[in-house]
Amino acid sequence: MQRSDYILKRTLFALLTVFVAITLNFVLFRALPGDAVTGLKCHNCTIQFKNALRKDLGLDKSKWQQYVIYLKDLAHGDMGTTFISHRPVRGELWDPIKKTVAMIGLGTVFSIVFGIFTGVISAWRRGTVLDKVSVWTGLAFYSVPTQWLGLMIVYFVADRIGLPHGGIQSPDYGILGNPGTLDFLKDRIEHMILPALTLGLVLYGDYTLIVRSAMLETLGEDYVLTARAKGMSNWAIVWKHGFRNAMLPVVTLIALSLGFILGGAITIEYVFDYPGIGLAIVDAIDKRDYAFLQGAFLALTLSVILFNFIADLLYFKLDPRVTT
Amino acid sequence: MSTRQPILRAEDLHVWFDLPGDSELHAVQGVSFELRPGERMGLVGESGCGKTTTILALMGLLPASASVAGRVHLEGEDILAKGEESVSPHRWKDIAMVFQGAMNAFNPVKTIGSQIAEPMELHGTATGRAARAQVRELLELVGISGERAERYPHEFSGGMRQRAAIALALACEPHVLLADEPTTALDVMVQAQILELLVRLTRDLGLAMILVTHDLPVVAQVCDRAAVMYAGEIVEMGQMTTIYHDPRHPYTRMLFAATPDLLGDEDVLSIPGAPPRLDHEIVGCPFTPRCDSAFAPCPTAHPRRLEVAPGHEALCHLNDHLVAERPA
Repeated sequence: MQRSDYILKRTLFALLTVFVAITLNFVLFRALPGDAVTGLKCHNCTIQFKNALRKDLGLDKSKWQQYVIYLKDLAHGDMGTTFISHRPVRGELWDPIKKTVAMIGLGTVFSIVFGIFTGVISAWRRGTVLDKVSVWTGLAFYSVPTQWLGLMIVYFVADRIGLPHGGIQSPDYGILGNPGTLDFLKDRIEHMILPALTLGLVLYGDYTLIVRSAMLETLGEDYVLTARAKGMSNWAIVWKHGFRNAMLPVVTLIALSLGFILGGAITIEYVFDYPGIGLAIVDAIDKRDYAFLQGAFLALTLSVILFNFIADLLYFKLDPRVTT
Repeated sequence: MSTRQPILRAEDLHVWFDLPGDSELHAVQGVSFELRPGERMGLVGESGCGKTTTILALMGLLPASASVAGRVHLEGEDILAKGEESVSPHRWKDIAMVFQGAMNAFNPVKTIGSQIAEPMELHGTATGRAARAQVRELLELVGISGERAERYPHEFSGGMRQRAAIALALACEPHVLLADEPTTALDVMVQAQILELLVRLTRDLGLAMILVTHDLPVVAQVCDRAAVMYAGEIVEMGQMTTIYHDPRHPYTRMLFAATPDLLGDEDVLSIPGAPPRLDHEIVGCPFTPRCDSAFAPCPTAHPRRLEVAPGHEALCHLNDHLVAERPA
């Protein structure tokens, strides 16, 4: 099998998965008892009104017809209209997703950079005090519940370092005239730091332990002894021969965990009252916003598929042996 | 045999490994030998007798859990005297190693060519374009097309990888080659080709070589001299022909008897039992339990190293009468 075929194959596979995800997203919602209208919180609505609403939403048509309409609308980028705000789902989704992506992006970069750094050092200096401190710190952050860590940061850290407890912008923001873009960004980032730090620390624990064990395994390989025999310095061996091989399992794990984070940051957003996609989903469940939830679930599924695809491509780039 | 100064001399080399629970494993117990320029010496013995540990010690490549005592003189300089500092400038430049290429001696994510060029750049013998040209030459020298430098290890067969491992060892034009089981895990045809290649290269380039193997016929085919190791000691050492025709240690004799004969007119004998554990002091001769000629002094007294003939030494009580004949 040609190596160039690999990308084609992976792409087709990702697209197929997207299709299956879309279909499941349709089927699961229809498999629930009742329909979009049954769950409406509307005590004064008559049966006639509800039936008229069903007809309006196309729920009187057969499931197959509904499926075809769903696919057709999706192909045009139309995900329907939310029940509460009566605005297009796509726009309503996009805004909280942007905020969440910015926040978890910051946290993830933090965790990857520090996780890899301390993981490599820890493996290189195995058995030293440095290694022990690093492993225990990693284990501690890996084990604490995310929301607990978030609360502790709100209680003990936020005021000390003068960062906001929650929300996404200061209450007095924009009251005194129109602030510039730079002030806007500064305010947003200040609100982002603590939730991002919480996520970053939890992920850090995970990543540093994975990197350490992958690195230890690599440093035991024969080619590392070869490199030493060639006269390479320890640091050069770790960097030139250890790192890339150790990154193979790490890249996959990180990419997979990132796929789930978009939806998994709910507890963090809740603790910090950060209006991202997690909070939006909780809110939509509360309000029985059927259309918004369907769109949100699809978006989360797509993010998992996307990161899987990215992991496949990275693996391909890193490992010349990959052909299937 | 040449009368030139030895290029490599090991003197009373000992290696201990720390074991968990405060015990130690005395893996190499006072190994001494000399290697002259252009000479090929075989280091033979069963698994776990300390062959690989010995040659790793020569290059200072043992893990941190090992402690080494003794001296290794390379062209007159004691390279282990100051640890890493005194040995690292010589690694690969003066003394290089052929690893078991069929195993993972090459990094799977780098091209073969870049890995052969690496030591050249490290030691400054060649860089950039010159290094790449040398890599191609080296590959051609070991019988691989130079274009394959751009290929990855998994695209090479076991035999080719072993050839590439030899090319890698030659990268900085060393004077001494240590080959650790270079033909293990290869089929017999490829094995023969690799051995032929090693003989040809050492002869053409004037390299001294230590060939580590458990395979006595391989040594007989390739080497001028052989050292037989048992339980961390060299129990017999001498010219290949002398050792073959006149073995003075029962272990050597039994190793030859354990080799199938092409004509099949002699039975292949196996040596019963297993080598002793080295994590405690051994009283007497370590080979006693497996020896077919053991007698009174063997279980209690450690044999003396005796020169049974010029250039032929053995470590066996059977030779004790020689001392009586010519008192020291």
